[in-house]
Amino acid sequence: MKIYFHLNLGGFSNCYVVANEKCKEAIIIDPGQITEKIIDNIESGSYKLSGVFITHNHGSHVHGLRTLRKIYTPKIYAADWEVAGNDTNVITGDGKVRIAGLTVRYMALPGHTADSMVYKIGNVLFTGDTISAGKIGTTNSSYSDFILRNNIDRKIFSQQDATVLMPGHGPPTCVGAEKLYNLDMVQITEKDEFSETPLSDE
Amino acid sequence: MYTLNKCLVHSCKNLALSTFDEDGNITGKGNYCLDHISDPGKIKEQIYAYIKNHDVITGLNTTGITFTGIDLTNKRFYGCNFQHCTFTNLHSEGLRSRMSMFDFATFSDCTLLNCNMQFTSFAGCTFSHTLFTGSDMVQNNFNGVQSFQSSFDDSDLYNSRFIRAKLINTSFRNCNVKKTFFIECTQENVSFKMSNTREAVFTPLGSALSLGIDQGGGSIF
Repeated sequence: MKIYFHLNLGGFSNCYVVANEKCKEAIIIDPGQITEKIIDNIESGSYKLSGVFITHNHGSHVHGLRTLRKIYTPKIYAADWEVAGNDTNVITGDGKVRIAGLTVRYMALPGHTADSMVYKIGNVLFTGDTISAGKIGTTNSSYSDFILRNNIDRKIFSQQDATVLMPGHGPPTCVGAEKLYNLDMVQITEKDEFSETPLSDE
Repeated sequence: MYTLNKCLVHSCKNLALSTFDEDGNITGKGNYCLDHISDPGKIKEQIYAYIKNHDVITGLNTTGITFTGIDLTNKRFYGCNFQHCTFTNLHSEGLRSRMSMFDFATFSDCTLLNCNMQFTSFAGCTFSHTLFTGSDMVQNNFNGVQSFQSSFDDSDLYNSRFIRAKLINTSFRNCNVKKTFFIECTQENVSFKMSNTREAVFTPLGSALSLGIDQGGGSIF
């Protein structure tokens, strides 16, 4: 498995091309913008683009899809039907897809958006905007924030510490580092510990 | 890239080291971690030889290995895993790295001049007397690093993150720190002279502002 990283200068989002050298097939995660370099990655390796996986339906993560569909005919996986209309393979909850000789596990992780998905290939998690290095995704309400934190705790922090996180924005990180240094998630444990401590003066 | 196999010992959660065939090339076979491998000296030799003989290194996993006095000049690392490694007296000029993981590694007395390390993670690393002078370190993860007597002078740190880092006697002179996060950092004798700090994101933790000005002025909060 080879992973190519591309920075989308339009929305400063990350796009990933995951290629399987054995069967010469590739998938794209979050095509925010299709550049010549991405096409070159696919064409120079003679890869067949089998699938596109969308972490959530925000412009900086899906804008390149229109361009991509003019050139290739990949299967599109997303939790939101509106990503590509009837061509979308709508995925919900947790499960796995076998594509391009790879097993892509998906986990619904709402909070940042209702359709947020996290994809796991091997030991690499593509987290979209749910979590990035040191921060969690933005939310619209305190309830969404609560849901997002709980989901991250249950579905991401339960992975092995060495699991690599490839976020939708910003640098890569690993689960072990996020457990220690994430500003939003470490706060939650401190609060919990604090609330459980009885007040000695009362 | 990123074939992070677990150690073959069932109860062990550590990552397995890379395996090599008779020609010295990386194979994707399962292996033991550094704690459980029968001959750690041999695998270390194989890793050293692989790095020495190859300029482009892809998908190498050396978790926990100690590198002493190694020269990485003009080497290119793609998708390599150096988590929990120790680098002592490392010397390199023009090192290039993409999507490599150096999490929780220790760099002591290392010189990495004019490096090009992008989309690389150094979370939880310790830098002691380490120089990254003149490097291109765009979109790197330095969260939780502890840096002592180190220098990032003349470097491009665009979109990197130093969240909850401990920076002591560290200089960021003439750096591009646009969109660089220095949140909840502990800073002692840190210099940002000639850097575009207006473009960076800071929180005042550790500075006189957050600690309160006791002498006459009172707290600002």
